[in-house]
Amino acid sequence: MKSTKEIEFVTLVQEHQNLIHKICRLYTNSDAEHKDLFQEITIQLWKAYPKFRGDAKFSTWMYRVGINTAISLYRKSKRRIQSFSFDDVSYKIPQTETYDDTQDQQLKSIYAALNHLDDISKAVIFLYLEDKNYKEISETIGISEVNARVKMNRIKKKLKTQLNP
Amino acid sequence: MDELELLKKDWQENQKFPKLSKQEIYALLHKKSSSIVKWVFILSLIEFGFWTILGFFIKDNEAQQRFDSYEMDHITIPLIVVGYLILGYFFIRFYKNYKKISSTDSVKLLMKNILDTRKTVKYYVLFNLVFLYVSLIIAVVIETNNNTDFQLITSKFTETNEYLMMYGIVALLTLLMMVALTGILLGFYYLVYGILLKRLKKNYKVLKKIEG
Repeated sequence: MKSTKEIEFVTLVQEHQNLIHKICRLYTNSDAEHKDLFQEITIQLWKAYPKFRGDAKFSTWMYRVGINTAISLYRKSKRRIQSFSFDDVSYKIPQTETYDDTQDQQLKSIYAALNHLDDISKAVIFLYLEDKNYKEISETIGISEVNARVKMNRIKKKLKTQLNP
Repeated sequence: MDELELLKKDWQENQKFPKLSKQEIYALLHKKSSSIVKWVFILSLIEFGFWTILGFFIKDNEAQQRFDSYEMDHITIPLIVVGYLILGYFFIRFYKNYKKISSTDSVKLLMKNILDTRKTVKYYVLFNLVFLYVSLIIAVVIETNNNTDFQLITSKFTETNEYLMMYGIVALLTLLMMVALTGILLGFYYLVYGILLKRLKKNYKVLKKIEG
C-alpha cells in the first residue's frame, strides 16, 4: 500500500515540478544551490506527505511546504558568509526570446534587487508573481492579510528605491 | 513599464526548467536508502565494539582462565586473526556500499547498490554464524581433550563400555548449544539489521515499479 503512495507522490511532484523550480530560482544563486534546494524541497514534501489530507489542492500545499523549506534553508545559509560572482547571479536571469538590451538590463537589475530581499519578502513577491491574491498569500505564508499587503507595499517601495536611486 | 509589471511578465513567460522524470525524482528521495546503508555501516562498527568489550569482560572469568591454561594459542590465535581479517573485509564492504549509494544519481545503480548491501549483510550474518559454529566445535574438542573433570567421567564410562553414549551426549549437548546460539544470534541480527534490510527491500520494490 505504501509503495502505491510513493508512486502517487512521485507522479504528483513530477506534474507540479515547475513550482519547485520557481521557488529555487528565487531563493538560490547558482545551479548547484538550485539542485540542492530542489532535492531538499522534494524530501520535505515527501516527509510531510502523510499529513497531506487532500482538502487543499496539491499545488497549494506544495507552495506552503516549498516556501517554508526555502525560508528555513535561507536562514541557515545566512549564517554562512556568502559571496556571489557575477556569473552566479547571471545564471538566474532568463533569456528573453526577443532581445531587448534596455529591458534586459532592467530585468537584470530587478532580479539583483530581488536577491537582496529578506526571506519572507521573497515569499510574498513569489506568490504575487504567481498571481495569488492577498488572502492566498497570507494563508500560504501564515501571516495576516493586512500584513501581506503592508509587506507588498514595502517591497514595491524598496525595489523602486534600489532601481531608481 | 512599471518594474513589477515587467518582472511579472518576464516571470510568467520565462519559466523554462529541465523536466525531471519520475525516476529522477525518486532518485532524489534516495537519501532514505543512503541513510539506511550508512546505519548498516555504523551498526556493524558498534556491534564489533560491543563484542570486543564483552570479550574484555569475560576475560577474567573462571572458564576462560581454565581454557587459557590449556595453552592452545597455536589454534586460537590464528582463528581470531582470520576472524578479524574477515570482519575487516566486511567493514570495508559496508563503507564502500555507503559511499557508492550516497554518490549515485542513477536509479539503476541505486537498485544495484541496495541489492549489493542486502547481499553483504546476509553474507556477514552467515559468516558470523559459521564462525560461531567453528569456534564452538573447536572449543568443545579442546575442552573434552584437556578438561580433567571430563577425562574422569570418560574413564568411568569407558570402564562400563558406555563411552559411545557419552560422546553421543556431548554431541547432542553441542548441537543444542548451537541451536540456542543460532537462535540468539539470528534474533540479535534481526533486531539490528533485519528492520533496515526490510526498509531497503521496500525502497527497492518501489524503484523497480517506477523503472517498470
